[in-house]
Amino acid sequence: MAAVVEMQGITKTYRSGSSARTVEVHALRGVDLSIGQGEYVALMGPSGSGKSTLMHIIGLLDSPSGGSYRLGGQPVEGLSEAELARIRNQRVGFVFQAFFLLPRLTALHNVALPLVYRGVPSAERLRRARAALESVGLGDRLDHLPSELSGGQKQRVAIARALVQEPDLLLADEPTGNLDSRSSEEILELFDRLHRQGKTIVMVTHEPDVGARAQRIVRLRDGKIAEGGAA
Amino acid sequence: MNPLENFRMAFESLWGNKLRSFLALLGIVIGVFAVTAMISLGQMASAGITQDLEAIAGRSIFVQPNFNEGQTSDTAPIRDEDVAALQVLPVKVLPQLFTNAQYESKPGERRSITLQGTPGDLPGLDPTNKIARGRYFTQAEARGGLAVAVLSDRAAKDLFPNRDPVGQVARLYYPSGGRLELTVVGVLEPPSGLFGGLSSSATVYAPIPLIWSTSPFTRKGQYDFLVLSLDKGADAQQVSKQVRRIFEARYGKGKFSIQSTESFQDTLRSITVILQALLGAIAGLSLLVGGIGIMNIMLVSVTERTREIGLRKALGATAGLVRQQFLIEAVVLTLVGGVLGVALAAGLLVLITATVPFFKVFILSPTTILLSLAVSALIGLFFGVWPAARAAALDPIEALRYE
Ligand SMILES: Nc1ncnc2c1ncn2[C@@H]1O[C@H](COP(=O)(O)OP(=O)(O)OP(=O)(O)O)[C@@H](O)[C@H]1O
Ligand SMILES: [Mg+2]
Repeated sequence: MAAVVEMQGITKTYRSGSSARTVEVHALRGVDLSIGQGEYVALMGPSGSGKSTLMHIIGLLDSPSGGSYRLGGQPVEGLSEAELARIRNQRVGFVFQAFFLLPRLTALHNVALPLVYRGVPSAERLRRARAALESVGLGDRLDHLPSELSGGQKQRVAIARALVQEPDLLLADEPTGNLDSRSSEEILELFDRLHRQGKTIVMVTHEPDVGARAQRIVRLRDGKIAEGGAA
Repeated sequence: MNPLENFRMAFESLWGNKLRSFLALLGIVIGVFAVTAMISLGQMASAGITQDLEAIAGRSIFVQPNFNEGQTSDTAPIRDEDVAALQVLPVKVLPQLFTNAQYESKPGERRSITLQGTPGDLPGLDPTNKIARGRYFTQAEARGGLAVAVLSDRAAKDLFPNRDPVGQVARLYYPSGGRLELTVVGVLEPPSGLFGGLSSSATVYAPIPLIWSTSPFTRKGQYDFLVLSLDKGADAQQVSKQVRRIFEARYGKGKFSIQSTESFQDTLRSITVILQALLGAIAGLSLLVGGIGIMNIMLVSVTERTREIGLRKALGATAGLVRQQFLIEAVVLTLVGGVLGVALAAGLLVLITATVPFFKVFILSPTTILLSLAVSALIGLFFGVWPAARAAALDPIEALRYE
């Protein structure tokens, strides 16, 4: 199985305060992690253990302070800001707890947004966005604004937005954190289905029963992997 | 990514905040309105000045003795020989003669009036003089020194209040005692335009030889004033020079003042240019204030849309594209303001042309429109740079965390 994510000794240190009295926060203290193609991984651990930080580094939103990282076999150190943006656009799909839909755009245009940065022509964008929304069961909500959608529907729009990118890697940070149990179940079923279709998924969660649906659970504690680092 | 996408997004975002966008660009609207209106009004004013001057003075050169040179007004130093010397130039020479006369406004009360000697058929020689009633005395009548007269509009009202003067006899008295009875054959139209009021005076026009033979202050063969009406296509500056040369050759430097209507126009034009520069500066100030307003609203917008910026970066927008998005938004904003400003200015100019008689032609040149729009776009670009740079520099993670 080809590895999508290969990390060795990843550290992340935040420095805050003035130069005279800096406070260092070691969010990650040497993480070794490998995630294979088509795997469904749950990232768990107490609050502040560095889950989100790790996910941002996996998704190239943030850069590590140390260690080495290959995404899809490609080392990411030394890549320019524009190259990182291009890789994010083409290989990584994000799903956030707070949905992050643009309030003035319809569901269809929200989903089409990543393709704008890929230079896909407008008609083709909308066609693909429509297909993605249909695949998450929202074919009848294309022209709704986010304010006209329920929480579960919003999260499905956000998942469609990630799917439209056809990413190597789907990253979800507590995607059910803002949802009631019924909507959560819908979203988790959607992830189950995506996993069966062969998508690689990394999902941050606090809830054991959510984690239990994944193939593998990676546990973080104090910025280190306590369990499940290797496939 | 196609930059047109950013234009579309800019319009969407500005349209989403219609009221705020409009308020923000009000300063630009007013600034561009001022720029456009001032440039065009300046052009319209100078066109109006030129037209008015041509209406009252035509394209003419005026020759008169320089009184500063210690001469007295009762000598008539322009002679027949001078007039003859000018015949080689592409001009019609209209010699004129002025003297004071009086008329009886009430029995026993005399008022002064200008008696002006002119050639016959003046309107035919100098079309700025127009007959309102009757006719002008002919060249033959003028040469013969017949006792006929044409009245200026003012003179007609003064001498013959509430009566048609044509056919009446005008009685004039020289201050020293002579008496003159002239048959009125016509009345002139009042002069038109901005300078009309200045040149409207009570004047009685009569044949030159008649005045020579009756006025004790004039001498045969001498004139006070020459109007040289330029032939079509003659170059005013060139001919002025030649006239000056002829008079300097005969009398020496500085004895005669030679002015053309075009030299008046040059003076008026340079006044207009100063006026325009001044108004342009005022407009520039309002654009500066408007630009700072744009910068402010763009900074607010960047702060408000921190999460949007973070999301766009997460989805693959580069810092360059985010910068471009906000720059384009600022430019679109100010361009919309510019279009509104130009439209507003056009409206005002149409209104002014329709209502103010001095502004006869509506002028809004493509250059002015282009300049105004370019200025507004540049303002957007200039004042958008900083907010756009702030947006581009946002760290996506902090932007996504932003509450
Ligand atoms: N920008 C930052 N500056 C300083 N410290 C930071 C910054 N971002 C995160 N941290 C710290 O890094 C540590 C890990 O944070 P992270 O958000 O990854 O935790 P988490 O596991 O996602 O927690 P939660 O379950 O509450 O979301 C925390 O101690 C946090 O305070
Ligand atoms: Mg977190």
